[in-house]
Amino acid sequence: MARIVIVGYGNPLRSDDGLGWRVAEELSRRLSPPEVEVIVRHQLTPELADDVRNADAVFFIDAARVGQPGEVTCTPVTLQPGTVSSHQCLPAGILALAQELYGAAPRAFAVSLCGECFDHGTGFSTSVEVGLPKLTALVEKMIGEEIARQ
Amino acid sequence: MEQRRTIVIDPVTRIEGHSKITLHLDDQGRVEDARFHVTQFRGFEKFCEGRPFSEMPSLMARICGICPVSHLIASAKACDALMAVKIPPTADKLRRIFGLAQVVQSHALSLFHLSSPDLALGMDADPAKSNLFGVLEKHPELARDGIRLRQFGQQIIERLGGKRIHPAWVVPGGVSEPLSLADRDAILKSVPEALAIAVRTIEWLKRTIERFREEISTFGNFPTLFMGIVKPEVGGLTFYDGKIRIADASGKIVAEYLDPARYFDFIGEKVEPWSYLKSAYYKPKGFPDGIYRVGPLARLNVVDRCGTPRADQELAEFHELQRTAVLSSFHYHHARLVEVLYCVERMEQLLNHAEILDKHVRAIARPNALEGVGAAEAPRGTLFHHYKIDDEGLIRWCNLIIATGQNNLAMNRSVLQVAKHFVHGERLTAGALNRVEAVIRAYDPCLSCSTHVAGQMALHIQLLSPSGEVLDEVSRP
Repeated sequence: MARIVIVGYGNPLRSDDGLGWRVAEELSRRLSPPEVEVIVRHQLTPELADDVRNADAVFFIDAARVGQPGEVTCTPVTLQPGTVSSHQCLPAGILALAQELYGAAPRAFAVSLCGECFDHGTGFSTSVEVGLPKLTALVEKMIGEEIARQ
Repeated sequence: MEQRRTIVIDPVTRIEGHSKITLHLDDQGRVEDARFHVTQFRGFEKFCEGRPFSEMPSLMARICGICPVSHLIASAKACDALMAVKIPPTADKLRRIFGLAQVVQSHALSLFHLSSPDLALGMDADPAKSNLFGVLEKHPELARDGIRLRQFGQQIIERLGGKRIHPAWVVPGGVSEPLSLADRDAILKSVPEALAIAVRTIEWLKRTIERFREEISTFGNFPTLFMGIVKPEVGGLTFYDGKIRIADASGKIVAEYLDPARYFDFIGEKVEPWSYLKSAYYKPKGFPDGIYRVGPLARLNVVDRCGTPRADQELAEFHELQRTAVLSSFHYHHARLVEVLYCVERMEQLLNHAEILDKHVRAIARPNALEGVGAAEAPRGTLFHHYKIDDEGLIRWCNLIIATGQNNLAMNRSVLQVAKHFVHGERLTAGALNRVEAVIRAYDPCLSCSTHVAGQMALHIQLLSPSGEVLDEVSRP
């Protein structure tokens, strides 16, 4: 059985920055728990290396600041040592840490939706509200493909 | 004319928050003065004025992403005092477990993520390798243990509080939800691994520090007072409740049974123009002679016992390090690990208590007093929250005394001691400057809390002439 980990991260009190949480929560309602583990975090931390080490695929879902508001992008994550500290971690660093610590780095994708408002608040901008179903559908489709591969 | 030059280390790396260090050289190139400047300002005491007191725990938890639980607990205790309630016994125990988990994850962060590069790779290691990946290359087991131990603490916080960062489970009058049987059992199941890591790491540290004799003798190795909350009847280690005890450098108790709610009778605070961080001092001895330290080193210096079997064995060994109180701030690392051991053992005891699953976990009341103080031992030392409210229950005045501020005088003196020993003249060696930073790391300062941020912190050091000319410069990526 495939094991998929979804990591939705960002600050839910900073408007569009919290979209990773929304998508992760939506996916946790739609997908069956035995196959998919959903994690939400304010930020990535080194301990996530332990959470992802046994996964077949990991999806890091975050808001992007650069690009066209509402634009969805999906990029494969490649290992990049040195991008982990207690203050700042990148998906590439989490994978590198998992590889170094446990000898196992899963396939991973950084899936993002470009936001336009990062002020204090719990609502989303219109472009993010419009883009969220597209992002959720994309991740759901990719998860289906990952499960089918196994 | 006498030449006075300055070395600036800005920012200081691998600490929580933003600061810089300046070293002032005399005309012979010898360090004559040193200052640890805290350059960030947050102002929590001011902007919470006018808010309902019941919001304070959640607001105060936002002070820090590393130890929000400690602020939650101190704040909720201040609110308990405003309501004049005694919280249910199970809530008391659950808050204690929450606080202990916080200490474990914070100490793990300090030791494994921030200071292990210095300890495992050496103070003169290539700065490019002085990070978690560098430790991982040479000591993969140590790095794995660090990840697991911090995760252990964070998972307990998440199970109890609903999330790892800024949980809002601790509320005025107790906690918002009881502990479930499933969560209790899951936490208990993870205890043996955490205990094994704590024991393994403390043994590793005891072997490792043999290589740091020069640092031990110069890293804040001077007499000060030490302060901590203790269980008054037995002089035992506690992070939640008790009386203040103060010991001097000889180990003699100079004050005890002090009421934390009367902290203003014995703690003074001084503002310096070159830092946003206030300097606390013990009032009876005045400023600056009233210099004292708080946190793991101080706590172990003031207690007679921990109260759990393995931690008590380690405490006895720790007390053997010096006939007097243990003075060197280098031993904060060692003390931190003894405390981790205690926290894991104590959590197991509390989780096995017959009442721990009781559903009555919150006392409800309106404000019954206009002033309240809450105190607790945070990972970095004693924490005080003091609030005054009006008849409507709105905050009118707030004062926070944070561990890092209480260590400010000692940190400054420690930087000077290290710089005098290791920094010579206009030549800036990475190893010497790393030691200046490392002594700050030993205290594990949390500057976000103490100045009431995140970001990658590069290191930039300049040696300047009196006219501002750059004589030497070192940068780290």
